[in-house]
Amino acid sequence: MQEHILSILIFFPALAAMLGFIVHKDSARAYGITVAAIEFLLSLWLWNIYDPMTSGMQFMEKAPLVAAFGINYLVGIDGISLFIIVLSTFFTMIGIASLTETRRVKDLIITLLFLEMTMVGVFAALDAIVFYVFWELSLIPMLYIIGAWGGPLRIYASVKFFLYTFTGSLVMLVGMLFMAYFYYQATGQWSFSLLEWYRLILPLNFQLWLFAAFFIGFAIKVPMFPFHTWLPYAHGQAPTIGSVILAAILLKMGTYAFVRFSLPLFPDASVFFMFPIATLAIIMIVYTAMVAYAQEDIKQVVAYSSVSHMGVIVLGTFALNVEGISGSIFLMIAHGVVSGALFLLVGVIYDRRHTKLMSEFGGLASVMPRYATIFGIMMMASVGLPLTINFVGEFLSLLGFYKQSHSFTLVAGTAIIVGAIYMLSAYKKMFFGNVTKEENKNLKDVNRTELIALVPLVIITIWLGVYPKPILEPISNSVESIVQLMHDKAQTPEAQARIPNLSNPVAKNSQQETY
Amino acid sequence: MEIYLYIALFAPLTGSLFAALFAASPKTSVTGIVASGLLFTSFVSSVILLNYVMAGHTVHVEMMTWIASGDLYIPFGFVVDQVSVVMMMVVSIVSTIVHIYSIGYMDHDKGFNRFFSYLSAFVFSMMVLVMSDNFLGLFIGWEGVGLCSWLLIGFWYHKESATWAANEAFIMNRIADLAMLIGIFIIYWNIGSLQYDVVFSQIANLPMPIITWIGIFLFIGAMGKSAQFPLHTWLADAMEGPTPVSALIHAATMVTAGVYLVVRANPIYDLIPEVGTVIASLGAFVAMFAATMALVNRDMKRIIAYSTLSQLGYMFVAAGLGAYWVALFHLMAHAFFKALLFLGAGNVMHAMHDELDPFKMGGLKKPMKWTWILMTLASVALAGIYPLAGFFSKDLILEVAFVEQHYILYSVLLATAGLTAFYSFRLVALIFHGDERHLEHGIHPHEAYNFMLYAMAPLGVLAVIAGMVFKTPYYEMVTHLLPAIEYHIHNHTTFWIMTIGTQLFVIAAIAYAYKKYAKAVKVDAKVESGFLYQLLYNQYYIPKLYDELFSKPYRELSKLAWKQIDLKIVDATVDGIANVIYRTGEKTHTMQNGNLSSMLRWMVIGLVVLLVLAIAFTVGYNAVTMRAM
Repeated sequence: MQEHILSILIFFPALAAMLGFIVHKDSARAYGITVAAIEFLLSLWLWNIYDPMTSGMQFMEKAPLVAAFGINYLVGIDGISLFIIVLSTFFTMIGIASLTETRRVKDLIITLLFLEMTMVGVFAALDAIVFYVFWELSLIPMLYIIGAWGGPLRIYASVKFFLYTFTGSLVMLVGMLFMAYFYYQATGQWSFSLLEWYRLILPLNFQLWLFAAFFIGFAIKVPMFPFHTWLPYAHGQAPTIGSVILAAILLKMGTYAFVRFSLPLFPDASVFFMFPIATLAIIMIVYTAMVAYAQEDIKQVVAYSSVSHMGVIVLGTFALNVEGISGSIFLMIAHGVVSGALFLLVGVIYDRRHTKLMSEFGGLASVMPRYATIFGIMMMASVGLPLTINFVGEFLSLLGFYKQSHSFTLVAGTAIIVGAIYMLSAYKKMFFGNVTKEENKNLKDVNRTELIALVPLVIITIWLGVYPKPILEPISNSVESIVQLMHDKAQTPEAQARIPNLSNPVAKNSQQETY
Repeated sequence: MEIYLYIALFAPLTGSLFAALFAASPKTSVTGIVASGLLFTSFVSSVILLNYVMAGHTVHVEMMTWIASGDLYIPFGFVVDQVSVVMMMVVSIVSTIVHIYSIGYMDHDKGFNRFFSYLSAFVFSMMVLVMSDNFLGLFIGWEGVGLCSWLLIGFWYHKESATWAANEAFIMNRIADLAMLIGIFIIYWNIGSLQYDVVFSQIANLPMPIITWIGIFLFIGAMGKSAQFPLHTWLADAMEGPTPVSALIHAATMVTAGVYLVVRANPIYDLIPEVGTVIASLGAFVAMFAATMALVNRDMKRIIAYSTLSQLGYMFVAAGLGAYWVALFHLMAHAFFKALLFLGAGNVMHAMHDELDPFKMGGLKKPMKWTWILMTLASVALAGIYPLAGFFSKDLILEVAFVEQHYILYSVLLATAGLTAFYSFRLVALIFHGDERHLEHGIHPHEAYNFMLYAMAPLGVLAVIAGMVFKTPYYEMVTHLLPAIEYHIHNHTTFWIMTIGTQLFVIAAIAYAYKKYAKAVKVDAKVESGFLYQLLYNQYYIPKLYDELFSKPYRELSKLAWKQIDLKIVDATVDGIANVIYRTGEKTHTMQNGNLSSMLRWMVIGLVVLLVLAIAFTVGYNAVTMRAM
């Protein structure tokens, strides 16, 4: 079982989703929770048997798909993908467990399980085509969730979401095909295996074009400025569960792909584009934080804050050193937990009042003290208070980029100021002051179902903020091998100077292992 | 000894969590008593540690790893040495007293349990701040006290002014925190560690400009917490919080964290005396600046807050001039008498039904005899009259400035000492002497609970003896760690002239304040409408300026960014591109109209394009190299 754990993790939810069609609709919920819980336990088991000291790929599986073109079903994980997979299974589980949707619950659960397959698949794939297939497949359930369970503008929002990301991924696909073609030209055989691509050293001008092609696909997903405008619409219309999964997991596909594809495949181009991308990241951080401050709808505040935080993640990734990249991956997890929790929290109040306008609230702290407390903890995590999960990632990301540029980091660091501004003012509008609206006077505090989802998230937020080692250590180990690989491949003097040489013999060799 | 360190550190956290359990339930005195008891435990542990440190030892523990990635390694490490033990004593004494006092003060408040949870959490954060053995550990405490300060300023969250002040304090501190983070980044990338001992032993090897930048950025961080100009406006607004909070956080402990940072980082600041001079000059400026605002204010708590600001300025003068032990000594003495002053003000507020304007009080010395005595005592100590605490700590700073030949700073501080005496006794005179103006408002004042007065008594004792008794043993102890420079004016005549002169000057200021306010209060309309009075009363119009210059533009710009840029430009552009493509599709579908000749034409064009591409790739292919590493 151990050697097929990844395949089980990928296809178990899909299989369960198909079986779900024959489950009676009254027991769909219990069925969904059971499947998601089993999947989550499996992913925990995966974490348990994962060897944190090895930096290379583990649990690799390979099966030929189109042998003539070197397309294989190739999966494997390292410290970078492991935790995002665990995060995916975790969020699917608590998402289903805390589901408050009443319309067509069975369909929704089947969709979510199918989505879970695509998410695990994307993060486990080591073959570009397999990666691409899962990447595109993930659009469909999300499109369906927004389109079928969304708000009044759901069709516009879902089509926008789909067209945007689909256009981006098509450009990415072209890039992948070219990459495989170059590989063929260089070695005489086709391959879509990432690990084999890693060994290919491309001249700078090729790297630049390919980097750009991949970048468009990834950047739209992140979403990076100026491709971010689909996100507020998607969040605005999506049901709570859709927003939670979208913010917690789907956005991470983009930043994960930067680390998995862009950096090790195109180290010189990464250095070449470092400052333009950092500029975009800073615009994301500051500009979207300002836009978040101007919002009137609490869900939009959280949506724009997502973009702002993703800016810090991108910045950390392009720090191109161990501190920065580890920090950005940690922040992916952290942001997943925190923004997922915030969207759940917004869902709590939406279920009660069917509005998300902050002006409709005020004084909720006295009516719903537990809700206010949990919201407060998550807000402080989002603001990046030390001893919460976000701080570790944010600190490391900024620390890492400081090595590359002092002034950029200074500007990007305003994230901690502008983040506090929009979050605190939103919190003030919702929770402080007197209860002015009659409807708010008798609101019920968070109930058991909601606590099932929220309490674990609060615990994780604080636990990993105080003791991040269990996940930071494997992440760092795997990042070290990527940084070393980049350094070894770097050709331009600038890249050689900017990417540190760790000259750690273990890290050096591990990435080169063959199967 | 390690066990005492952990008790001193974690007892407040335990108290906070215990009180938090009852946060949602109705008031129970148990939370207050347990939290106070645990703080007392923390205090006892600190005393034991103090004895241990005075015997010449230090305690250094590493609890566990916190963040480790790449070369970065940051543990939860704590150190009790000569400097941190002083801070621990100050924090644990004042916070224990404030906790006990709060049991009475918050007696009728619905949020009683919640209050103790926050207050103990604050003490824990403050302990982390002073006990950490590295800069990022200090930053945990730094942000932790910021969080608790936010919670406690906004404790009465239904009040718009309170929540506004809480947010202002948090955001303004965040600005400074960014600078502090940058300082931490510079240290890490140049030294490779954030541990105090490593950093301080290697700092001298760095190039001068880098040390200077580290010093500047860390000091900007300190400016936020210690509310130095131009980041000072939050402190006066923070008076919206309950008065015990003002006593503990916004007078005795948190606001002195900036001074602590500079004192702790003395090996850095010793290398950059120019930055030190800037710090001292800013300190002297703030001392004077804040004191002038206190002269005319009509809000009891704000007057004391400005006084705090002014005294923080004094501390920075000492720290900037390299007299770190003097700064720390004044920090300690100030904590005692300023906390006492605030707690006294709390009693007055209770008696006056939360009235804050001293012009509406008067003659309270009869019904509130003990509060009157304690507050007068604190004011005398603050004014620096021999032999109370302020004389030994504050006048020492004057001597430091004189000995270091910064005569301008000296004169500014001397003048400020006069202002300090005046505004302190203006307040005392207005509250406790003269006519009972409150009677018009139908208020019948009563003295505070006895146990509150008993709780305040130790502070009264400390305000009297802290200077005289503690100075020598304190000096012996801290100079193990801080530069041992004695500031003596060698010429005896000069020394006596200065000391006696200062005392007479201060006494004259006190006498003037009594004369002006102790009997009948005449409101001089001409003075009050004057430019100077209005300028001071409106805090030099700085809060207004900030609002016009930063808050409003930021709000407007944010709106603009959303409504104009994000919705109209960015989103519309992308939608526009999509539309263009869509319309191109609409138009070009005529390409496949089944007309053979036109379709052939398109085929040829397509072929040419493909050929050009193929040639381009062949050229490109030659450039591809394959290298197995």
